[in-house]
Amino acid sequence: MDRRNFLKRVVKLFFLSLNLSLIIIISYLYPSKIKQKRLLNIYVTDEEFLPKKGIKRFEYSFDKDGERVTNFVFIKRDEEGLTAFSPFCTHLGCLIRWNNIHKEFICACHGGRFDKEGNVIAGPPPRPLERMPIEIKDGKVFLGIKA
Amino acid sequence: MGKLFDWFDSRFAVKAPHRRFFERSIPPNLNYTYCFGGIAFTYFLILVLSGLLLSIFYVPSEKEAYKSVVMITNDIPFGWLIRGVHKWSASLFIIFIILHAIRVFVSKAYRPPRELNWVIGTSIFVIAMASGFTGYLLPWDQKAYWATEVGTSMVGTIPLIGKSLMYMIGGGSEVTGTTLIRFFSLHVLFLPLMIGILLWLHFHIVKRQGISTNL
Repeated sequence: MDRRNFLKRVVKLFFLSLNLSLIIIISYLYPSKIKQKRLLNIYVTDEEFLPKKGIKRFEYSFDKDGERVTNFVFIKRDEEGLTAFSPFCTHLGCLIRWNNIHKEFICACHGGRFDKEGNVIAGPPPRPLERMPIEIKDGKVFLGIKA
Repeated sequence: MGKLFDWFDSRFAVKAPHRRFFERSIPPNLNYTYCFGGIAFTYFLILVLSGLLLSIFYVPSEKEAYKSVVMITNDIPFGWLIRGVHKWSASLFIIFIILHAIRVFVSKAYRPPRELNWVIGTSIFVIAMASGFTGYLLPWDQKAYWATEVGTSMVGTIPLIGKSLMYMIGGGSEVTGTTLIRFFSLHVLFLPLMIGILLWLHFHIVKRQGISTNL
């Protein structure tokens, strides 16, 4: 091997070994703690405050990692029983509100509209409203929240 | 060159306009001391890369700075390595700038028409020292704090403008969180940008004037 080829190989080896630093950089940048979300049972209200028939908005708060989080949920009662709708529009996550006159959920951001079953009637939302697990225990209403 | 480069070059012709610099003739009586400048530049590149990586986890605030440095060193995979590389490269950067300056001085490469490149080079040296001084505060431990206290107080001894200059640099009469944020900004934004521009000028002049053969 002459000097020129030897130097060429050395330079190539140098650039190849640079790839090693790429592995180091990726493991440096990769987050060390990724929290798994779990289902929390949050007390929302008492059973007596639930609507006999129709949809009502309930506010609730809970502690998440030492921080007080407040949000609301739409609870529907009909022949099928209880259904809880997440208040986030499935389009881009704006908060929706319930219009009791037209009997539909309306998202003010881009005009998304959902019927009382949570299905999309109009606007850009790609999916029906998200339903949340709900149950009644000893006259108290608990909501399943992923946090 | 390699296949990958040829593929790239056949499409974008990056080689042709730079042929003048790739294939320029180099004086025959060079030795390895002429590498010092290039080594210093390599350390600058390593400093930029490791500094960018450190800036991802570092928090420039009075309360969080020390904690984030401890976290980088102890908790984050290879954080100790990145921090160590940044620290040692900083020292070696300064050392090789000095060696490079000695080489230029000994080979009399500072003489006309290269006077301005000497001026640019010494400016880079001064800014590199300033980078070292501002970077020294960022771990926000006792040593860093008192070193900066001493450093800024030394500025305060300059006649007439000393005190005002000291307040200007430190953002107040003593070293506080304001000083930390000022030094952080200087260390990661102002000074590297200045060095980058000056390095471009430095190399451009070398390319235009060629390597000195005055010896």
